[in-house]
Amino acid sequence: MVDSEPAETIALELRGIGKAYGRGANAKRAVDDVSLRVRCGEVYGFLGPNGAGKSTTIRMALSLIRPTAGEALIFGRHPTEKGALARVGSLVDGGTFYGFLSGRDNLRVLARTQGGDGARIDEVLERVELDRDAKRKVKGYSTGMKQRLGVAAALLDNPDLVILDEPANGLDAAGIQDMRALIRGLAAEGKAVFLSSHLLHEVEQICDRVAVVHKGKLLREATVGELLDVGDALRIEAEPGDAALAALGGRWPAQRTETGLTVQASRADTPEIVRQLAAANVDIFAIGPDGHSLEDIFLTMTRDSDA
Amino acid sequence: MLDAVYAEALKLRRHRATWLMVWIYPIVVALILIGVLLYGAVAPAGEAGTTATAEQWINNTLIFWEIPKSAPGRFLIAGFAALVFAGEYGWNTWKLIIPARARWQLIAAKWVVVVGFVLISLIVTDLIGLIGELLGSLQGEAIPAGVTIGALLEAHIRAIGFALAPILYTVAFAGLFGVLTQSILATVILSIALVIIEGLLPLLAVLGHNYMPGISTPLIEVLPLYHVANVMAWAKGQGMTLALGPDAAIGFSFGASLAILSAWIAAAAAATQLRFARQDLN
Ligand SMILES: Nc1ncnc2c1ncn2[C@@H]1O[C@H](COP(=O)(O)OP(=O)(O)OP(=O)(O)O)[C@@H](O)[C@H]1O
Ligand SMILES: [Mg+2]
Repeated sequence: MVDSEPAETIALELRGIGKAYGRGANAKRAVDDVSLRVRCGEVYGFLGPNGAGKSTTIRMALSLIRPTAGEALIFGRHPTEKGALARVGSLVDGGTFYGFLSGRDNLRVLARTQGGDGARIDEVLERVELDRDAKRKVKGYSTGMKQRLGVAAALLDNPDLVILDEPANGLDAAGIQDMRALIRGLAAEGKAVFLSSHLLHEVEQICDRVAVVHKGKLLREATVGELLDVGDALRIEAEPGDAALAALGGRWPAQRTETGLTVQASRADTPEIVRQLAAANVDIFAIGPDGHSLEDIFLTMTRDSDA
Repeated sequence: MLDAVYAEALKLRRHRATWLMVWIYPIVVALILIGVLLYGAVAPAGEAGTTATAEQWINNTLIFWEIPKSAPGRFLIAGFAALVFAGEYGWNTWKLIIPARARWQLIAAKWVVVVGFVLISLIVTDLIGLIGELLGSLQGEAIPAGVTIGALLEAHIRAIGFALAPILYTVAFAGLFGVLTQSILATVILSIALVIIEGLLPLLAVLGHNYMPGISTPLIEVLPLYHVANVMAWAKGQGMTLALGPDAAIGFSFGASLAILSAWIAAAAAATQLRFARQDLN
């Protein structure tokens, strides 16, 4: 059983945590009975569409808001307990800072509030490549710079658990690449990373495990591979579509789409399908796995959970 | 705790609003002093007209301790306290610091910084004023005999003590309003309203006594408005007697008013802590 696990390896545990806004009949359950465990050395994704309750859950773990049910435990301790959050670094709302202070002064304020001396400020500023802009007021920072300063703030106290709410929001392609490398690096150092996202492709490349939330409820916890494995399908762009459909001859169930067809078949079937289509004089423009969008996965899952 | 205070001071010491509402006093007084000294250097020396006694002279040097008792002075203190307590909501920065330290310490640090900054500013202003008197005496305005360092120090420490009452009272309620309204503007408006109502107290007391004597008098006796005014009046040696009508008045001893006022300050501070401890920061 998981319970025999040494407590030390469980960085974050949510036990039936819930938050209801409002009272009585008007109460809205933003988060409902979510339980999960994040272990040291893993990157754990918290995936859900807008309004799913991701930020609310993260804020409860950080003691910013009070759960109305259940509890969050950080290395086995309540976040409100003295020193419990000392091992946690966090980034919420894309980095919240004093706009009238410089980037470096913001980190100095944070370091002092944490009770530290700020010896690591230069190191973390360098790590997020902000050392040259550290003297400028945060007011003048771009979204991406604020986000990077937020990461620097999260890493300032050398935490064992890093909690990031939508770390990729507002970053350009290069920024996302950097962020991915940084997050993987943290896990490689043995830290636990808990991050939220509303985009599947963002989490699939960096997370070891993913929890899917929808309307406040945890629908499923799985590895990324398991999550994407909702049945194999290939997407084919081909013309004429009707001829293509006929050529596959019912061997693989297929459906017409705007640009061609989707075929219920695995990757290994690709060469055979291409041969069949070519023999039928169909022009093939593209063929590849039918990427499941997050929406598809949610639809499947909510259908499953309703059934 | 010291770290939390240091962090808070680091945040605010060079904020534009701190210059405008706190550091303004020593700056303005220093500028005036320089102007007066320059004028004294070029103007022909007037006849030395020192008729003041030692006690009067010392009392004149206490002028800057009237600032926290005056309405404009308290507006500025309330404005600064509003910035410190309510600012984090508008800046969205509670999320940065709450995970870093116990909530009650964050609020306590704000208390220390607001009261500390105001006191530092007024003490520095006071010292500049005294330096001015000293330099003025070199230009010919004699300091009356009988003014000793000891007497001067005692008078100034006493003045600081009395000034603490309106400062702590203003900060306590601005802090509470800040945490309740989560808005700098609302906090400033409520704090100003409190000072204005206090100024209208003589009028309100008479009206209240006239129309609803059964409620008005106990209300005045319980609420802090009269007592803060009374404590400040006692600083000058005589309490404040609030006339209610031709045959009725309210007059509390210094000790009684101080006790009631202290209870209100402690209650407001405790309410601030309790509210903040349970507050959701979305
Ligand atoms: N203070 C509040 N009062 C009432 N409802 C709230 C409050 N804060 C959040 N909610 C509701 O809780 C639900 C979850 O919000 P939350 O911000 O946690 O979602 P999210 O998963 O982070 O979404 P996003 O991807 O848009 O950031 C939403 O329906 C939201 O409207
Ligand atoms: Mg969110």
